[in-house]
Amino acid sequence: MTVTTTGAQVNGRRYDVIIVGSGWAGSLLGRQLGRQGWRVLVLEAGNPGTETWPGYQDSLDTFNVAPIKVPNAGYRPNRAAPFPDVLDLHAVPGGYTSTGHFVQTGPLPYGTDYIRALGGAAMHWLGAVPRMLPEDYATRSLYRYGRDWPLTAEQLEPYLQQAERLIGTAGNGAEQHELGVVPERDYQYPMEEIPASYQDGVFHRKLTGKEITDPVAQLPYTPKVYTLPQGRNSTPNPLFDDGRGYRPVGAVGLPNFGERCVGNASCTPICPVQAKSSPLRLQQDFTDSVHVATRCVVSRVLPGRGSSVRGVEFREYSDPAAPVGTPYTAEADIVVLAAHAIENAVILLSSELANSSGYVGRHLMDHPTFLAWSRMPQAEPIGAFRGPGHTSGLECFRFGSGRKRRAPFRIEIGNWGWGWATGAPFSSVGSMVGLGGDAEGEVKADGLFGPGLRRRLGDELNRQVQLQIAVEQPADPANRVTIDPQRYRDGLGNPKPILHYDLDTRVRDGVYAARRVAAEIFRALGAEDFTDYRVRGDIPPLGHFRHRPEGQTEELDLGFHGAGHGAGTHIMGAQRATSVVDSYQRTHDHPNLFAVGCGSMPSIGTSNPTLTMAALALRSAEEIHRELTSLHHPVTAARQPVLEAAQ
Amino acid sequence: MTQEQELTEFVHLSMPLTGFATYDLYGTGMAKLYLDTAREQLGADNLTGFLAAWKQVLADRGGPERLTPTYREVARALVYLWYTGSWPQLAPAAHSALRRPGPNAEFVASTSSYAEGLVWRSFQGHPAGAKPPGFGTWSAVPPELPSEQQLREELEAANEDPPVTPAAVYDAVGYGADLPSAGVPAHLLPGLRVSRSIPPSAVPSAAVAPAAAAPEQKQVSER
Repeated sequence: MTVTTTGAQVNGRRYDVIIVGSGWAGSLLGRQLGRQGWRVLVLEAGNPGTETWPGYQDSLDTFNVAPIKVPNAGYRPNRAAPFPDVLDLHAVPGGYTSTGHFVQTGPLPYGTDYIRALGGAAMHWLGAVPRMLPEDYATRSLYRYGRDWPLTAEQLEPYLQQAERLIGTAGNGAEQHELGVVPERDYQYPMEEIPASYQDGVFHRKLTGKEITDPVAQLPYTPKVYTLPQGRNSTPNPLFDDGRGYRPVGAVGLPNFGERCVGNASCTPICPVQAKSSPLRLQQDFTDSVHVATRCVVSRVLPGRGSSVRGVEFREYSDPAAPVGTPYTAEADIVVLAAHAIENAVILLSSELANSSGYVGRHLMDHPTFLAWSRMPQAEPIGAFRGPGHTSGLECFRFGSGRKRRAPFRIEIGNWGWGWATGAPFSSVGSMVGLGGDAEGEVKADGLFGPGLRRRLGDELNRQVQLQIAVEQPADPANRVTIDPQRYRDGLGNPKPILHYDLDTRVRDGVYAARRVAAEIFRALGAEDFTDYRVRGDIPPLGHFRHRPEGQTEELDLGFHGAGHGAGTHIMGAQRATSVVDSYQRTHDHPNLFAVGCGSMPSIGTSNPTLTMAALALRSAEEIHRELTSLHHPVTAARQPVLEAAQ
Repeated sequence: MTQEQELTEFVHLSMPLTGFATYDLYGTGMAKLYLDTAREQLGADNLTGFLAAWKQVLADRGGPERLTPTYREVARALVYLWYTGSWPQLAPAAHSALRRPGPNAEFVASTSSYAEGLVWRSFQGHPAGAKPPGFGTWSAVPPELPSEQQLREELEAANEDPPVTPAAVYDAVGYGADLPSAGVPAHLLPGLRVSRSIPPSAVPSAAVAPAAAAPEQKQVSER
């Protein structure tokens, strides 16, 4: 049972730890520290509601009536704690415009969103939890690009295992060992892997033994289909935990429900049965020493004596439609920012803290995602629009010396047809029936109706193949978050994030390689390639660019989408001059201020970053526990908030 | 005409448009809502006019090619409504010809209509986010789809005696009958959305229709 409180109630109170944000990172920290007896205050800027069954149904209704089912379709806008939406970006002649929470100034749009609500962006995540490759932690040493971590995969291993347990992961340990990301040969995930889709099987049959040449890396690859570890309830693994097994955790607010995925095929934006894991599961098991206050927007961290921090200043609002807030403060021995990479950067910049390196806000990253789509031959349906968003991938392009020539990429085999690229299946209805008019706005002549429409639509939708290819983006100081409080503030008066974003040549080379590889894969499948990023008229698609890597003869029209993997902004490193936090995510400048989350990651490889972020949060929780233990005095005594710098 | 008769006629005349039999259309539970939505979006006179024109075309054993361009767009909007639970964005020419007072924007008819869209049934699937088929079902071989002939027979059988609609199936000879069997041409398939803020009904086709593209090689956006 979660203990909830209000901003007014905690005003002026003192806690052991204040955690800003209730997403995965904040919730993992809250759980761990609460179980060790520490008094924790979790401040969430967004709305509560999803933690109850009726509240969750309300999100489902919001999703149902959204005409465009984007990741945030289940969540209403919040003027007091605004958040970005992919619908904020518009293609216009010659480029793009951005409305909403982000101010965008870069040559290319940052197409990634998040949610400010209880549970954070994890409320709309897909649930993909692949591990990073061991080599991803040291790209600078191995491949001469990006930044090395002050940590290795080996050091993170126990925390990764703990994160897989707490998230509730379904995966195939032996397969992941063979892939090279799990060191133990007989590693057991809590649950058996989510079954591969029928389409995954088609890929396996048609691609096994086929050699695919990446013309940019100038290397041959033999793709193999691997199932994806997912934070989604599957069949419990009886061998987990030395034979003690695993009890899946289901829906929050409705017992014994959602304990196994039933194939709603809507993981992003929302899993109706909550078989997809979310931080709400952790929150319902918070101990009583953890207090959660929602609709409390932290505006800044308060400086304390010396280099320490004292607490936070925040505004509590009651109506998300009317951004009027009452200012309060709360104090703690340790302050943890866990508010998303971009929001963490805004809070640090507003507070003018932790930025002696000048690196706060820099190195903003994402996984630029290239979509490729094709149509299978008529007698070979792949059964699109069934099951979780993706259940298997092609992993070989992530590894090895090809990374010296272009950014690596991971190929997701999409299970939802041409949905992401074209808006199928609804856009398929519109196109086939001939809706919407021609270029002049006149009613079109062609179109199908009746049994012909029904039959051919079903046939076409059954054959839609889409690859979602996530390309690694290395940390680039030029990609950054800044603020300009004089010019850009949100409804509550907090600075809006200003983003400057671009893709460097290495990433563009990677996208180019992804395009060529996708064409080869489609050829091997016998599928007809429909991928098309050409500019029609004067409006380029969002994220469009033309590119020709060195040594290639053909220039291609390419494009990318945001993956929702916001990272960088307060990256970790051993040197305080060139990084913001240390390997425990403690800011170099302030011994009792932590900035946790994907913002700390110096590189994100080609893996969805949640699992790595969760492992880092668990490691930070241990460190914070050690800190608190070492300085803790009887709770009745007034304590000095000053900590020794733990260098 | 009573309200009940009007609804009966609306559903029966939707049969040759959608390719779904009346019991499937009633089975969505949305018939009344869709009739009301269409009336609200088109205006009562336009809706009555369309239904009368479509009924006449069917009585004359014709297909949608006999409808005026504006009424053809109305027919498409009704199919879109049945297939997706949403009212679509119309061709601007039809929007202005109908003198619609509201914005020409796509919206979902109600919280329950999304899950009743017929498009999912066209491939024997289920709506994303509703009516889940169960754990692991996505590994199974996709179900076989009924042939066009089977669907026609199903619709003919669903027409009542005496028939409410003059024809359960429109005559496709003049319209949409000569497409290649391997797959529909690209101008009837969706293309890339230039941004995700484009609603599904306004997504441009993957190619310009051959007849429209041929006369003058126009470089125009299909937005």
